[in-house]
Amino acid sequence: MLKSIALKEWLKTRWFLLLINVIMLGSSGFLMLRMHRAMDIKGADHIWQVMLLRDAIIVDSLATLPMLLGVVLALVQLMPEMHRKCLKLTLHLPCSRLKTTSAMLFYGVITLTISFALCLGLMHVALRPVIAPEMVRHVLLTTLPWFVAGLTAYLLAAWICIEPTWKRRVLNLALTAMLLRVFFLSDTPESYNGFLPALTAMGLLTCSLVWLSVLRFIDGHQD
Amino acid sequence: MHSDIVIDCQHLSHSYGKRQIYNDLSFSVPRGRILGLLGKNGTGKTTIINILSGYLAPSAGRCTIFGTDVRHMPHHMRRQIGLLIEGHVQYQFMNIEQIEHFYAPFFPGQWRRDAYYELMRKLRVAPRQRISRMSCGQRSQVALGLILAQNPELLVLDDFSLGLDPGYRRLFVDYLREYARAEQRTVFLTSHIIQDMERLIDDCIIMDYGRILVQQPVGVLLEQVRQYTCSVPEGYSPTPHQQLYHPTVSHGRLELTSPIPHQQVAQLLRADGINPDELQSHPLNLEDAFIGLTGKY
Repeated sequence: MLKSIALKEWLKTRWFLLLINVIMLGSSGFLMLRMHRAMDIKGADHIWQVMLLRDAIIVDSLATLPMLLGVVLALVQLMPEMHRKCLKLTLHLPCSRLKTTSAMLFYGVITLTISFALCLGLMHVALRPVIAPEMVRHVLLTTLPWFVAGLTAYLLAAWICIEPTWKRRVLNLALTAMLLRVFFLSDTPESYNGFLPALTAMGLLTCSLVWLSVLRFIDGHQD
Repeated sequence: MHSDIVIDCQHLSHSYGKRQIYNDLSFSVPRGRILGLLGKNGTGKTTIINILSGYLAPSAGRCTIFGTDVRHMPHHMRRQIGLLIEGHVQYQFMNIEQIEHFYAPFFPGQWRRDAYYELMRKLRVAPRQRISRMSCGQRSQVALGLILAQNPELLVLDDFSLGLDPGYRRLFVDYLREYARAEQRTVFLTSHIIQDMERLIDDCIIMDYGRILVQQPVGVLLEQVRQYTCSVPEGYSPTPHQQLYHPTVSHGRLELTSPIPHQQVAQLLRADGINPDELQSHPLNLEDAFIGLTGKY
């Protein structure tokens, strides 16, 4: 049954997942190429100097990209379910509704995680030969909260999407904006290091909000 | 699972905000019968389907299917309930093959792949054509094919004729009737097209705003309900009576619908000052009986 759910989610999202990977790998690849080119022109020592003295992390233009992709993945995955209340079909399957909903969200979280991991892997591979391991670690740790924001944005967008009433959707949207703001409070690299495990746990726990929307859908709430 | 009553709703009440849809509504559907729920727009047909399929909590009352409260139904029992959502909604992003592959694993031991593909062959569409690119009629056949493949004990169909041309409606009705009769399935359905219902249903519930007007076998209903006409003097205004439905006077002729016998209608009219010697009764088909009982507006 879980295989069937995965098939359904795959059919909805396969082209968008390809696009996510192209965008993530394309934009991080572009930043890596730009850095390598700058090193060719100005020398590696100049880039090291900029990174150490100005606390630059080269890839800061990626900051909001995972969050945006998380939101769009939730829309691509769940809008077809909400179109003409197709979700009724999914929840009518002879399978626990909690399990069905969790499987759908798990699919989204896993596919996003794979995309983000590929992006981190590409950055690691591209940075490792040209800058010190400590600086690679510094760049990757700084980007981690952005990826966690992407996963959290996916779950919160799913919460908004499945919510059956517009009034509550607006409220959910406001709460989502506030929660996601937490991920972008500081521009200082690695400022989230100590807080990241708690932030990740909070982000993943937002999946329980999606279940609240499902329960409201089952109860027949409407505007 | 072996009770003679498949659906049992008792004392249902529901409101949307301050607007009460119905109050203290009770009905039941026996095993192996095809029951049609007839009612004008806004009488709460889809609300009942939503309550029955567990997607709406009624303000009061309780509905059971196979003896289990629909709000607390174990998920495996949904294997025995085929649900058709208004507008033949299905996963639009799938094609004919994909949707069959998707559903089959949920119904081990009961899935009838052949029944689905037999119906799909009639559609003359490519197996890889997406459902979103099909006509409304083709989509209805996909939805019906999936329900027939599921082979459930109970079929709940919400407005199955919505958007279908006469050919597809006939195909849908004939397939459904043959299947339900051959397999002794229980069907609970609604439709706006009442001619189709007459070909299909055994029993009917006719709903008016907030209440059930009639629940009985269609044969008995059509045997009892008659249209009555007779001449009336100029300026005559009919006296309301519980058993005389929607009396109207046009060009000196009274027209009304009633389930009571000719003699009793004549007595009531005589008491109202009308000479019933010219009273004529006319048999009705289901649509005319429905209009006669619920009114044109």
